[in-house]
Amino acid sequence: MWSGWRRLRRWALRLAGLGTLVVVWQTLSSLGYLNTLLFPPPSAVAATLIDLLRDGSLLENSWASIQRVLAGFAMASIVGIAFGILLGWSELASEVLKPIIEVIRPIPPIAWTPLAILWFGVGNSPSYFLVFIGAVFPVFVNTYVAVRGIEKSQINAALCLGARPMLILTDVIVPAALPMIFPGLRIALGVGWMCVVAAELIAAQSGLGYMIQQSRMMLMTSSVLAGMLTIGAIGYAANSLMLMLERRVMRWRSEAVS
Amino acid sequence: MASSAISIRGVSKRFAGRDDASGTLALARVDLEVRKGEVLMLLGPSGCGKSTLLNIIAGFLAPSEGEVLQDGALVSRPDPRRTVVFQDYALFPWKSVQENVEFGLKAKGVPKADRRRRAREVLRTVRLNGFEERYPHELSGGMKQRAAIARAIAVDPEVLLMDEPFGALDAQTRVLLQEELARISAETGMTIIFVTHSIDEAVFLGDRIVVMSARPGRIRELHDVSLSRPRLPDIRSDPEFRRLADGLWESLRKDWQHEASQVAAAV
Ligand SMILES: Nc1ncnc2c1ncn2[C@@H]1O[C@H](COP(=O)(O)OP(=O)(O)OP(=O)(O)O)[C@@H](O)[C@H]1O
Ligand SMILES: [Mg+2]
Repeated sequence: MWSGWRRLRRWALRLAGLGTLVVVWQTLSSLGYLNTLLFPPPSAVAATLIDLLRDGSLLENSWASIQRVLAGFAMASIVGIAFGILLGWSELASEVLKPIIEVIRPIPPIAWTPLAILWFGVGNSPSYFLVFIGAVFPVFVNTYVAVRGIEKSQINAALCLGARPMLILTDVIVPAALPMIFPGLRIALGVGWMCVVAAELIAAQSGLGYMIQQSRMMLMTSSVLAGMLTIGAIGYAANSLMLMLERRVMRWRSEAVS
Repeated sequence: MASSAISIRGVSKRFAGRDDASGTLALARVDLEVRKGEVLMLLGPSGCGKSTLLNIIAGFLAPSEGEVLQDGALVSRPDPRRTVVFQDYALFPWKSVQENVEFGLKAKGVPKADRRRRAREVLRTVRLNGFEERYPHELSGGMKQRAAIARAIAVDPEVLLMDEPFGALDAQTRVLLQEELARISAETGMTIIFVTHSIDEAVFLGDRIVVMSARPGRIRELHDVSLSRPRLPDIRSDPEFRRLADGLWESLRKDWQHEASQVAAAV
């Protein structure tokens, strides 16, 4: 009963914030305070959004972007987790590889764009590459820190029970690190999504980034905004999905911890 | 010779120092024969190297000098013939109690059905039946330690190593688990090496009590406990129990007073 009320209240508050923003924006436009060419009102953006949905281009471009993120993100997850475990586990690997990684890590993904175009031209590949570059470090860092932080006594417990390295990996290290790997994956997906849009602005012939860039050139500002809103909405949905997955996979954790 | 489960021969351990070369001498030439089937209690002031010795016996640490033998064979790495119960339980929180107990059997390659049966049997021994599907965070401290004991004995080790296993428990739970352990050790005949800070615990559980001296850890005294088995709660009022406990108290008093004054000085 009470929790029902509280939920209702929470949603009402959330929608109130969003609703107020839209109303203020629309009013300012109607009163002529905003240049509708450069900053069209919500009604125009909504109309454009519907048009773009009707002719299928919005879905097509969204799918192009999503598919690129998924490919780059999948590679980044595998590489990030593998290296995180390797360097977290082996002092030697850590000593040798950490300096290389720490020098590459601060380079913003955007700074890789010229190289990506030189190497891969225009198309899907530079997007895969840039998403990979953006997503791999959050996954790596979280995995690495998690593996480093595993309690020695848990490893010792596994060892004295006769566990071989493979079993320790699958039954101790990975599950122990998972509570930190997951947030890393979630951050990586967010970064990957930003990277794909950035990549498509310059180095693609399709996708939401490409779409808003094209719309800009034709001064179709409401299409630019519609594209941006779609980018935001998909990013939000992806994050929520990851959160749900996270809770589901780690049901063994106590409520107090999560 | 054949009656030794574990032989500790001239074991020293020096931990490398942070800056200087000398480091910390944690153990100095420890010699000890642990008999098959006995419960050996290690008692001594904080920092005297009890955990270090136990970790060397387990095979987690290599001694700087000397060697540890199990049944005449050199101990060089952890092995399920010697399993460990840790003070902080070290259960796997992502596994249910049942899966925790099955872990060592899984490592051995025991088929799933046999694993299940064996784990249930052991969980009955530690009186945790009915909690198989729980996760560690859903258990009290005492229940967690029962689960950890079950996990350690499920693989049928010859030697059970326990490092202050009841140290984190409240007084009542502690006494209860001591009684359970006395029963389990009588039932299984396992050799147990048990580190404790508690004189009462040492006398209640032990066949022999090793008193270690403050750093560097050495064996200072070795007491036989001639109390009858099985150890039941009322043995605590036995005059022999009191005599032993009082003697140990006298012998450890100086170390503990020293420890207390050092702590006071540090604060
Ligand atoms: N990994 C390590 N590196 C350096 N010094 C260590 C290490 N482990 C233990 N020591 C030192 O060795 C000595 C013995 O430690 P140990 O943990 O074996 O004592 P303990 O008898 O188990 O003490 P407590 O009763 O407090 O558990 C201590 O002085 C400790 O500081
Ligand atoms: Mg200790």
